[in-house]
Amino acid sequence: MLPFFSSTSLTCLVRQVLGAVLVLILVTVCGCQEETWSIQRSRHDLPRDAEVSESRPGHYGGVFVTAESQQPRTFHPLVAEDAYSSQVISLFLNGLTTYHPHKEKVVPELARSWDISADQRTITMYLRRGVRWSDGEPFTADDVIFTFEALFDERYPNRYQGQYTIAGQPIEFAKVDRYTVRFSTAKPYSPFLYVIGFIGILPRHILEKACESGELLQKWSVRTAMHHPEQLVGTGPFRIRSFKPGQRAILEPNPHYWRVDSKGQRLPYVNYLVNRYVQDRNTETVLFASGQIDVASIDPGDVVGVRENEKLHGYKVHHRGPASGISFIWFNQKPGTNDQGQPYVQPHKLKWFTSQEFRQALLYGFNREGLIQSVYFGRAELLHSIISPANQRWYNPDVPKYPYDPARARQVLQEQGFRLSPDGKLYDKSGNRVEFEVYASEGSSTTPQILSTFRENMKALGIKVEIRYLDFGTLVARISRHFEYEAAAMGFTGGVDPSGGRSIYLSSGRLHVWNPGQEEPQTGWEARVDELIRSSEETFDLDERVEYMHRMQQIFSEQLPLLYLLTPHAYAGVKTKWRNVQIPPMGSVIWNIDELYLDPES
Amino acid sequence: MLKYVFQELVHRPLGAGCLVLLGLMYACTLFSQFLAPYQPTDQDLEKAYHPPTRIVLKNWRPHIQVYEQVDPASARYKAVEGETVPLRFFAPGEEYRFWGLIPAKMRLFQVQKPHRVYLLGSDSTGRDVFSRLLYGAQVSLSIGFIGICITMTLGFVVGGVAGYFGGRADFLAMRLVEFVIAIPSLYLLIALRGALAEYFEPEQMYVVIVIILSLIGWAGAARIIRGMALSLRQRPFVLAAEVMGQSSWKILVRHFLPNLASYLLVAATLSIPAYILAEAALSFLGLGIQEPGTSWGLMLKQAQELKVFTLNLWWLFTPGAAIFITVITFNVLGDVLRDVVDPRQQMGR
Amino acid sequence: MLSFLIRRIAAAVPLLFGISVLVFLLMAIAPGDFLDVARTQQDIPEEYIERMEEEFALDQPWYARYASWLGNVVQGNFGESWIYRIPVADLLKQRIPATLVLSALSILFALCIAIPLGVLAAIFKDSIFDRLSSMFAYAALSIPEFFLALLAVMFAANTGLFPVGGLTSMDHEFMPFWSRMVDYAHHLVLPTLVLGMGSVASYMRIMRANFLDYIRADFVTTARAKGVGEGRVMFVHVLRNAINPLVSASGFILASLLSGSILVENVMNYPGLGQLIFEALMRQDEFVVVAAVLMGCIMLMLGNLIADLLLAWFDPRIRLDKN
Repeated sequence: MLPFFSSTSLTCLVRQVLGAVLVLILVTVCGCQEETWSIQRSRHDLPRDAEVSESRPGHYGGVFVTAESQQPRTFHPLVAEDAYSSQVISLFLNGLTTYHPHKEKVVPELARSWDISADQRTITMYLRRGVRWSDGEPFTADDVIFTFEALFDERYPNRYQGQYTIAGQPIEFAKVDRYTVRFSTAKPYSPFLYVIGFIGILPRHILEKACESGELLQKWSVRTAMHHPEQLVGTGPFRIRSFKPGQRAILEPNPHYWRVDSKGQRLPYVNYLVNRYVQDRNTETVLFASGQIDVASIDPGDVVGVRENEKLHGYKVHHRGPASGISFIWFNQKPGTNDQGQPYVQPHKLKWFTSQEFRQALLYGFNREGLIQSVYFGRAELLHSIISPANQRWYNPDVPKYPYDPARARQVLQEQGFRLSPDGKLYDKSGNRVEFEVYASEGSSTTPQILSTFRENMKALGIKVEIRYLDFGTLVARISRHFEYEAAAMGFTGGVDPSGGRSIYLSSGRLHVWNPGQEEPQTGWEARVDELIRSSEETFDLDERVEYMHRMQQIFSEQLPLLYLLTPHAYAGVKTKWRNVQIPPMGSVIWNIDELYLDPES
Repeated sequence: MLKYVFQELVHRPLGAGCLVLLGLMYACTLFSQFLAPYQPTDQDLEKAYHPPTRIVLKNWRPHIQVYEQVDPASARYKAVEGETVPLRFFAPGEEYRFWGLIPAKMRLFQVQKPHRVYLLGSDSTGRDVFSRLLYGAQVSLSIGFIGICITMTLGFVVGGVAGYFGGRADFLAMRLVEFVIAIPSLYLLIALRGALAEYFEPEQMYVVIVIILSLIGWAGAARIIRGMALSLRQRPFVLAAEVMGQSSWKILVRHFLPNLASYLLVAATLSIPAYILAEAALSFLGLGIQEPGTSWGLMLKQAQELKVFTLNLWWLFTPGAAIFITVITFNVLGDVLRDVVDPRQQMGR
Repeated sequence: MLSFLIRRIAAAVPLLFGISVLVFLLMAIAPGDFLDVARTQQDIPEEYIERMEEEFALDQPWYARYASWLGNVVQGNFGESWIYRIPVADLLKQRIPATLVLSALSILFALCIAIPLGVLAAIFKDSIFDRLSSMFAYAALSIPEFFLALLAVMFAANTGLFPVGGLTSMDHEFMPFWSRMVDYAHHLVLPTLVLGMGSVASYMRIMRANFLDYIRADFVTTARAKGVGEGRVMFVHVLRNAINPLVSASGFILASLLSGSILVENVMNYPGLGQLIFEALMRQDEFVVVAAVLMGCIMLMLGNLIADLLLAWFDPRIRLDKN
């Protein structure tokens, strides 16, 4: 009656053990197979305007493995809202231009060259001739027009509609001939060349029908990648071979890719690119330290541990300099009342928060140097400006700085009329106890450490600080919709061009966090910043733009609406067997994945 | 009756042992502020990831070994030969409020500043793991206790009412119980937590967790109590009490409760581990106790970083051992209790 | 039998209905919503967010959304995941098998270890073996699951004997069929061990207790008197009866496995239902959460139903039609 126990259950146990041993043997035997990763290379003709890579020519072969702590949510550029989806998309789609992280300027991608008109409002882009999509169809200006029409189509809301709207007007575009497209903006807009390269050009022959029938955004989803990856047609270096959510994506070379090396060999060299999905950065580092993946970003605190295994697993940890993001604590400076008539910030607290000297004093009283020592083992630096020092072109090194100086902090507070009671509590002019709450989300492991140190430092000044942790979503709701908070801590990633940060810098910006969405700039300095941003976007002269940005940073560091925290040093680990690795100060380590090849000896 | 149970318990070596161990642990929790050399939030940024300080005997007095940081870029410390600092007992330390009421300064042991005595090493900002373990115990151990009291009360009320009154009350109560049991517990926990957490301050997260744990736990107890109540209902002494005109409430409390007490006791002891583990799991996922509070689950979450793996910072895993010891003690105690109580139940009163 | 089945299913429907209402309500009470992450992206304009709000009906009260969801469900459409933009049914179809396999294997593993241990412990009652195995049972029961998972990951990372999480190896799709099966097995070893460990203890104690009960039963004495060999007495007569409570305990154990799988899957990077639910709950992807919770409840009910059916099949004394 009981099928499992025909004989004694002891035998069952024994059989179980034997089975396990058998499995183990089989596994070790089958694990030794390397021939599975071979591939057939195509023999298609090279396009007329193929780009020749400046790197050393290499040879074909190898599998490049990375680990990602998040997986793509979609494969459609118009739908992608997060960085990870965009990352995968950029592997099989190209934009018209791209940014070269070492040359630090915009370089051609699908557009081989361009002309800017005298009034700087019209840009004519000449496309690469002879380029084919990964399924062999020719790439022409029709694809570019299709992409921009879809982008601006009212039925398909996406983030690019706003990005490509300059001074209230969407950019105009027109086909000139088979390989030429002309763009016009309402006003001269200097970040244009950089920004136009964001959108991956879509293949018209694949998506046109869906666009017309209103189903464009349903295409190219995770499902497509899982079951029909061949439909994800692009001009990029790779195409999706397979995608298993929660596990990995395997990409193979695009047989029609338009870049070659100086020997005429079509790029990329690697046979396969594998993205393994892991649950967090920790696991990524563990995998790299045990030699299972080829590249990883390493946190400063892990560097020593990872370096221990450098010889054992054949990799090297490179120091990239400061990271490109910024992080800060800020005070809610929004005046006025909410729907129930309650002020967003209690009036006596608003007086402190809007006082430049108060903010400066608190930053003087914050021992960020001590944090660098303990949490980051010295591998971090103080953040002094709203642009990270990693961005060498735009960073202003001469901004006012606020090293740890508690005596000065106390002095400034005293000058502002705050007084310290005998039992160590700080009171303002009107006799209110100085205290506030800081909201944060427990994003990384370092945030609680930084904030608890802040709390202790403020305690030494007599200020009572409470740190409250919220879910990220709740935090965002508080600071951007309800404005029910006193202070908060957050960070932003840094882009290579400061135009990416305009929603932070502009007083009308949504991310101008201390007082967002102002209709008219409320303070003199915010008006000045708005003017500087406007000027910098209207001039195409790079030096002028840099000058404006420097002045903007100067104002921010004087006024200090954001109390800057730290920028950790960025480290990247790469296996030494890969050649042509050029790690840039900012951006992806494998930005030139198509040029990487295996050292013949390995 | 309870006295009998207690006597039996003490006679069995396992039971006695568990009682003693638990008593010790809870006593430590009550006096954790006195026993811990530092506040759980006391940082020392220059002594991050410090290993446990060795205790040596010098002139028959305990001293702690002094260490220095070998490499400022890593968490490696080396003992400085010959340098020790005396350990002082019953010495004044950072001020605290004993049981939240009486301000006090005295601690069990201290060392002269700027040195630190790390019995179990330090974490990433130099906070003493031993102190955090003691303060965390306050949370982790009490949550189970309080949660159980609420659960058993709820379970008794609902189950008792359902079993005694029967009919519509029984039907409704059992449907409700089935409803709660039908959802896998952690799913419900997380969803409840996500919904309720915003309406409380982070310090009050403790209260939130207790509430949601109780809201989930009472169903199982209620179902069993209802079964027992159903059988009890037919007993002669209950019928007699009804005939004599005693109010239903009095019957429930005076007659049902004593009979169910032993079951409740066993069930409570066996359920506390589940609550402790649930709180640890929630905090581990980042959904339970949060900074600046501390609990064992939270400490494990913070220990989950790579540095622990590669730099062999084993002392950061001691909260796991603490949870393990507590839970296993409760489990063993519960089993012994059940052995004591069971034969009696079968015999009836 | 049929009427029993029908009654169970009929009882399940209002239950599932109520659970779905509860989940929607809880998600509505939870602050923030799915679009909060989009709101912090620097280059996403306000109009886009408003458009998304309309599309997801986030500006409507929760019961309106529930009503439309219910309408869709009746037609077989469980809605779309906001994160992945694919139908929820597809998402679940992809993740559930992994969790099912893991749970089933964990129960099997637990049974295979617990039954022999429990039987031997009962036969050699009060011996060293008995005490040791009972200690082991307590230990297995008491260790927090996520802690065990952490230790397992550490073990895998340090020794390299097992993969550090995941369901398959990188070159899985290049492997021939048998290698692929072996690959799955290799990856399943540690998660099964971790998840099953707690169940081992429960099963073992039940096994031992029941075995002991039946050893003293009348029919055993009869069998012995009739001259049946001790081995046959133990393993054929006693075991068959003692197994029954294990079957009904399995329903209970399945519940704890489903909960435990959230922790284990997250720590060990195993792509199953638990991981999906956790992510969806964190990101407030409403339709996925509701569907996944309902799925979990259905799995639980099915497990209990199967346990009850098996019980009735094994034990002729239990008649399902009697309530």
